[in-house]
Amino acid sequence: MLFFSFFKTLIDHEVTVELKNDIQIRGVLKSVDQYLNIKLDNIQVLEEIKYPHMSAVKNVFIRGSVVRYVHLPANAVDVPLLEDATRREAANQAGKGK
Amino acid sequence: MSFFGFDTSRHNPAAAGFSQAHNPFAGLSNREDEGDALEFDQTYDGLGDQLEETGDAFNDDTFGDTAGLDTRPVGKDFDFFNSTAKVANAIEEEHVRFTRQQPAPRAPQPMPQAPAHAFQQPSIPGPSSYGYYPQPAVHKPARTGYEKYGNEPVADLQVDASLWGVAPKKQPQPAPAASPAAVPASTAPSRKVLSLEEVEAQMRAQAKKPTQQATPSPAPPPAAIPAGSQAHVPPPMHYDQAYQFPQHGQPQGPPQTDYAQKDQAVAHGHGHPVTILQRPLSKQAPSPQPPVQPAAHQRQQPSVSMQPTQILQNPNRLSGDAARLGMRQHPAPTMPGNYPAHPVHKQQGSFSRQPQIITHPSQLAQLSEEEKAAYLEQEAKRAKRNHKIFLMSRDNGIMTPQDKSFVTRIQLQQLVAATGNPNEHGTDESLAEDFYYQVHSQIQGSQRQNPNQPLNNFAQTYLFQTGSRQGGMRRQHRGPENHMQRMEQQVQRAVEAAKNKPKNKQLVIEGSLGKISFSNAKTPKPLLNIKRTDNTGEAHGPSSAQKHVAHDGDRKTDLRSIERIYTTLMQMEDHDRNMPPPPTNDADTEAIQTFVTWNSEAQILNNQLWESLRVHDHPDNGHVHPFIALLSYTKGMKAMQRISRHLTHEQRTTIFTLIVVNLDSLEVVRNAQVTPEAMQLNAAMRENVELFSVAVMATLFNILNELDLDLVAGMLGLVCTRNVDVISKSRIGASMLTMILSRAEIIKHGGGGSEPAWRSWDMTHTRFFDLIEPSLPHTFPGPVTASDDIYVWQLLAALGIGASPDQQQRLVLAVKDRVMDTVALSKTLPQDLAAQRLQNVNLFMRSIGLDVELLQ
Repeated sequence: MLFFSFFKTLIDHEVTVELKNDIQIRGVLKSVDQYLNIKLDNIQVLEEIKYPHMSAVKNVFIRGSVVRYVHLPANAVDVPLLEDATRREAANQAGKGK
Repeated sequence: MSFFGFDTSRHNPAAAGFSQAHNPFAGLSNREDEGDALEFDQTYDGLGDQLEETGDAFNDDTFGDTAGLDTRPVGKDFDFFNSTAKVANAIEEEHVRFTRQQPAPRAPQPMPQAPAHAFQQPSIPGPSSYGYYPQPAVHKPARTGYEKYGNEPVADLQVDASLWGVAPKKQPQPAPAASPAAVPASTAPSRKVLSLEEVEAQMRAQAKKPTQQATPSPAPPPAAIPAGSQAHVPPPMHYDQAYQFPQHGQPQGPPQTDYAQKDQAVAHGHGHPVTILQRPLSKQAPSPQPPVQPAAHQRQQPSVSMQPTQILQNPNRLSGDAARLGMRQHPAPTMPGNYPAHPVHKQQGSFSRQPQIITHPSQLAQLSEEEKAAYLEQEAKRAKRNHKIFLMSRDNGIMTPQDKSFVTRIQLQQLVAATGNPNEHGTDESLAEDFYYQVHSQIQGSQRQNPNQPLNNFAQTYLFQTGSRQGGMRRQHRGPENHMQRMEQQVQRAVEAAKNKPKNKQLVIEGSLGKISFSNAKTPKPLLNIKRTDNTGEAHGPSSAQKHVAHDGDRKTDLRSIERIYTTLMQMEDHDRNMPPPPTNDADTEAIQTFVTWNSEAQILNNQLWESLRVHDHPDNGHVHPFIALLSYTKGMKAMQRISRHLTHEQRTTIFTLIVVNLDSLEVVRNAQVTPEAMQLNAAMRENVELFSVAVMATLFNILNELDLDLVAGMLGLVCTRNVDVISKSRIGASMLTMILSRAEIIKHGGGGSEPAWRSWDMTHTRFFDLIEPSLPHTFPGPVTASDDIYVWQLLAALGIGASPDQQQRLVLAVKDRVMDTVALSKTLPQDLAAQRLQNVNLFMRSIGLDVELLQ
C-alpha cells in the first residue's frame, strides 16, 4: 500500500499524469484509491493541439491501469520519509512472503 | 469529503432507492420538494408500538398446526401459502366478528375526525354480512412473498458512530421527507388497477355528465366493475380511500385501518372499490388530510350540494399534477375540517389563479371548446404519465428492505476491509500499511489535523445516507432490531476473520490450467508471483555471510550494513513511540515493571545498533574502517543524525573519536583534496561534501560541544597523528580542524578547563601548528579567483586566535600572498562581491589583530 499511501499525501497538489496512450494531463490530484485510480481537477493537456477533444474537459477520472507515469511535485515529497516507508514496505513484504 | 469528492451535500436523499428503502414514489416527490412536508410523528398512528413482538403463542392457530394436521416434517418446499390459506376463512370470520363487536374501535390517532365520523353510523345494517364477502378480494392480494417484511423496522439503519472511531459531527438531519415509515413498507401490487382506457373513459364520462353528477346518483362505473354490482357502484370516493389507507393491502397491517373501507364496501355492497394508482403518493400528496370526511358527511346527511364537490374532487386528485398544483397554491384548504366547509371557495380560488385546472364540472361546461379540448388533452397526458409511472413502479418492491440492507452490509464490509478500520489508525498495523501517509500527515500537521480525517469523513459521508433513515427516532429503544448495529458487529467480525485468516491467495482448481489468484481492494491481484524457495534463501545466507567477512569494504556489503542500521533505527523509533510514561510513584509496581521492560528492550536495541555500526571492528590491513566506510555513502551520512540521537554520550564520543582518528581516510577528505590548479571537484564529490557538511558535520559539532577540554585536546592530539596535510587540504578536514580549535577557544572564554588541561592543550596546539604550517599556503581551493574559500579563512582565524605572537607572524607569512591577491582582486570585483571577499579575509586578519583596511 506504499504507493497508495504516498499518493494520498499528494492530494491537492498539481501532478502530471502520463497515460499509456501518451497523453499527458496536468491537474490537481483530487483523489486516489488503492488501485491508483486517479481523479484530477482543473486539468490541462500538455499538447493541447494534438488532443483537441480534451480541451473542453475540466476534470477526469483515470483508471489506474492506464497510467504510465505520474510526475510528482518534488517539493511535496519527503524523501527520507519515503525511504523509510519503502524500507518498511519491503520489510512487510518480506515478512508476508515467509 | 467523500471518497472521490462527490458532493454529497447535494445528494438528494429523497431519490428513489437511495436512502428511502421503500418509497416507491420517491422519484415523484422530487419534483415538488417544497410544499408542506409531513412530520413522520404526525402521521404515525402508533399502532406498531402496540404490537406484541413476542406474542407468537398462537402461531399455530394462524398458520395451521403442522404437528397436528400434517405429521410430515416441514421441508424446504413447505407451501406457506397453502398452509396459510387453510385458515384464511377462520381469520376472516374472526375479522367479521371483531368488526361487529366493536362498532367504534380505537381510531387511528392522527386522523381522529375521519374514522370518528365514519363510524357514527351506529350499526351496519343487514347487508353487511353479504357485503362482507367480496371484501377479501381487496384484502387478499396475490402473495408477493414480501409481506412479512411489512412490519419489519427496516428503516432503522442507524449507525453507532464509534464504529468509525468518531462521533458524527453532523447528526444526520432526518428530513421529514425521508422518514420512510410515513409510507408503507411495501406496495400492494395486487390491488385492482384501472387501465389507461378505463381512466380516460371515466374522465370522459365525468366531463360529459356534469349535470348528471349533480344528483346523488353515483358516476357510471368503470368497465372493470362487474355488471351485477351496478346498483351499488361505489362513488369515486374510493380513490380517496385508497390514498387514505395505503397500507390496507398488507394482510398483516393493523386491522383498524381497514374499517373505514370495509364500512364503505359494506355500505355500497360492492367488494371492488375502484382504486386508481392506489400506491401511496409521496408525503406531499394530500394523503393525511382525511378525504374520508366528505364521504362521511355525505353519508350522514346526503346533501346534494356536497355531492358534486366530492365526486369531482376525485378526478382532480386522480391527476397528480392538478392535485399538486392545487395543493401547493392552496395549502389552507387541505387542512382537515376546512375542506368540506369551503369546497366552493377553494375551487374558485384555485380556478381563478390556475385557469387551466378544472375542479368543477360546471367550470368545464363554461369553458370554450378549445379550452375544453386543451383541458382534456392535458388530463389525458396526465393520465398517461400516471400510467407510465405505474408501469415503472411495478418493479418497486422487487428488492425488499432486507435485500437492500444486505447489499449495504456487503458494501460497508468491503469498504471497511479496503480502507481499514479507522479505530486502528495510529496503531502499529495501520502504521505499517500506511506509514508514509500517516507520518507525512503528522509532519504536515497544519494541513490536516489528523490523518484519520479523510477516511472518517468518507465514512461519515457514507453513513449519513443510511443514518438519515433514523426517521422519527421512535424505534430507538428497540435495540435488537437495529440493523446497523448488527451490521457493525458483522463487519467487525468479518474484518477480524479476514485478519486472522491465513492468507490463501491462490486456488488451484483441479483440472484447470492455471492458478486463480484472489484479490481484494487491499491487496490487488499480484501480477508477478515470484516465490523464492527456501532452498535458495538458505544457500544465499551463508555465502553472503562469508562474503561479508571476506570482502570488507565491498560496496554491496556496506550498503547492506547501512540498511541494517536503518532497520534497527526504525525499530528504535517505533520503540520510542511506545515509551510508557515513567512511573509516577514507587507504589505503582506495574508501571515500574513496564518501564523496566521497555528500558531493557531499548537497551537491547541500542546494543544491536551499536553492533551494526561496527565501531569496534578492526579493519584488515589497508582497509578502511567499516564505520568510516559507511560515511562514504549518502545513505550512511544521512543516518548519522538519527544514529546519534539513539546513542549514549560515551557512544557518541567514541564515534567522534573514531572519525577524528580516521579523518584522513574519510572519503570526503581523501578524495576531495584541493589543488591550486583544479578549480573544482567533480560534481558527485561536491555533492557528497555538501551532504557531509550538512548531515554529519552538524552532528559532530553537537557531539563536540558536549566535550570538555581534556577530550578536545585529545582530539587535536589524535589529528596530529594523522596526515595533517591531507586533512587541511580538504574542505571537510579544514572544517573539522576549525571546529576543534574554536571549541577550545570557547572553553577558554567560558573560563573552563583545568590548569593541567590547558598546559596539555597548549602543547598539542604548538605541535599541531608546526604540522599544519607548511600546508597552509596550499589549503586554498583553486586560484585566488575561486571564491569558495571562506572555510580556509575560518581555519586561519581559529588558528590565529589561539596562536602566540610568534605563531601569528608565521601565519601571516604563510598566507600573505593569498591575502594580498584577494585584496587586489576585490578591487576589480563588483562592490558586493568584493565586500564579501574582503570580509572573509578579515575573519583571519581580525583574529590576529589586523584589518584588511590597513592593506588598502
